[in-house]
Amino acid sequence: MKVYEESGCFDPHSITDCQDLMGLPAATNCHNSSEDNLNLSSYNHHHHEDVSATMDMETHQHYLLDNTTTYNTNAHLIPYLTQELSYDQSNWETFNMVHSSSAAAESAAAASGGGGYTPTPDLLSLFHLPRCSFLPNSSISFETAPGSPPVVYDPLFHLNLPPQPAVFRELLQSLPHDYTVPADDKDAAGVGGLYHDGDNGIIEFTRDISRAGRTKNRDKAGKTTKHFATERERRVHLNDKYQALRTMVPSPTKNDRASIVGDAIDYIKELIRTVHELKILVDKKRCGQDRSKRLKVEDAASAADAGDVDCKPLGDPDRCYNTSLRSSWLQRKSKDSEVDVRIIDDEVTIKLVQRKKINCLLFVSRLLDELQLDLHHVAGGNIGDYYSFLFNTKIYEGSSVYASAIANKLIDVVDRQYAAAPPTSNNSL
Amino acid sequence: MEFLGSELNELCMRPSRGRPGRRRHGNNDDNFVSKNLHAERKRRKKLSDRLLALRSLVPIITNMNKATIIEDAITYIQELKKTSDDLSEELLEMEASSEGGKQMEMEADAAAEMEKCGIKEEVKVTYIDGNTLLIKIILQKKRGCFTRLIETMDYLGFEHSETSVTTFKGAMLFSSCVHGKFVDALMVEQTELLLLEMIRTMNGNTC
Repeated sequence: MKVYEESGCFDPHSITDCQDLMGLPAATNCHNSSEDNLNLSSYNHHHHEDVSATMDMETHQHYLLDNTTTYNTNAHLIPYLTQELSYDQSNWETFNMVHSSSAAAESAAAASGGGGYTPTPDLLSLFHLPRCSFLPNSSISFETAPGSPPVVYDPLFHLNLPPQPAVFRELLQSLPHDYTVPADDKDAAGVGGLYHDGDNGIIEFTRDISRAGRTKNRDKAGKTTKHFATERERRVHLNDKYQALRTMVPSPTKNDRASIVGDAIDYIKELIRTVHELKILVDKKRCGQDRSKRLKVEDAASAADAGDVDCKPLGDPDRCYNTSLRSSWLQRKSKDSEVDVRIIDDEVTIKLVQRKKINCLLFVSRLLDELQLDLHHVAGGNIGDYYSFLFNTKIYEGSSVYASAIANKLIDVVDRQYAAAPPTSNNSL
Repeated sequence: MEFLGSELNELCMRPSRGRPGRRRHGNNDDNFVSKNLHAERKRRKKLSDRLLALRSLVPIITNMNKATIIEDAITYIQELKKTSDDLSEELLEMEASSEGGKQMEMEADAAAEMEKCGIKEEVKVTYIDGNTLLIKIILQKKRGCFTRLIETMDYLGFEHSETSVTTFKGAMLFSSCVHGKFVDALMVEQTELLLLEMIRTMNGNTC
């Protein structure tokens, strides 16, 4: 290779020389060469067959940094260098992939400026990583060197790859990095002049997009860190809201977003049912009260007259004209018990599952009496570790107990007894 | 951010196909990456479907983005809770101020009905081997009779393994399999007598 011959001062087949090369620029750039060596060794591990080629690349770099000569062949390398400068080191993997594909395309297409130099895909990746650490310093040397070509922001575009690079560029721009492109202020025309490939289409393309790329990056360079911070704040706020939603639900299950939302949906539906039920109850109650009041009035009135007591005014039922069937359903779960209460009209069906420890039947039946529920049917017993019962009850006339009250009291009683009972596994009665 | 992730994934997938030396490896990675992609997409879809459902439930919506839908849901839940609390308080007040007491009539009827159908009160206790007894009782259905039954059983030290209660025409049939600690054949008679006694006392106090 042309450049290779000119740099006859080293043996391309020894790794140590390569490292020396790396060390040389380090001297000028106050750079931690050990890092480079580490990187280099990792590369050698992956791409051992390309070591010699690696050295070539590094030779080129060496030359470029010194800025003694500029070759047409090197023109290809410059953009890669500068891209190096702007990207965060943590993203080199993805760049690897992209560059490898672009490099493959390049080696196929670029016969003009090639000068016999055809980098393999691996080479490019090798080429990049060591240079990452050069970032701030090498940019300085770049700008000050005479006759150094202006920097192109994104080297991919001179290959005329269509949509992929655009997406990629946007991705890269939105990624957090504090480095600014060294040649932000360079004129785009200079860039166009770089490529003497004779292919005007490619140059134009490069110029336009590089200009666009640069302005975009210029806008966002200062803002990317702020953007990152606001994004993080936004995420934190959102997570807090999810947690707040979780605390409102009575029996939350899993702690991930989808189940929080699912629980919230069920709870909202339950609350709507409860409110509906309560409204009906209140209406009925009010109706009943009015009617009884009216009856009293009539009684008093008809004490004087005889006989009109039984006749209720027909205008009255309009207000409590309630064909809607009172219905509600809800479930409550606690650590050791589950309660399911369904009410249709005046029939209440209660299902209770409770971890076996105490004789819950006793407490439950006491509670049911308290709640003015008339037991019609009971079925259940001991199943494995649990007691499971089904109660069919009717609400006594005149009582206006509602579903959530039943469920809450039940769970309360059962849990309290469970906690109060001595912790014995066998029933020691 | 999620969009970014998916784009990066897809970009990773493409170059691996273009490198001949790594094709085999690349194919496996493709499968894993695409399985992950599918799983991740499914998860995101699940979350967004549920968020949509939540949005449809809440009547007052301010903006249509993820953060505000959660906020709106929170406010709506609080509102509903407040409404239900108010209504239940109102109900409680109305309950306190109203009158009750129609139960007496029901129970008087119960006894009459039983006689009409010819159902007799009865206690039957059978010994099943081990510690188990089978108890069957027919009694007049009254308010709180079930509770008293259970209390008695508890007092006797029985633990219910299966219980079944049905009511018919003012009579209640109670049938239960119980375990006891010191149960043997001799106890059967005693238990029967005890339970009969209890029922009679219950009938004696009609309330």
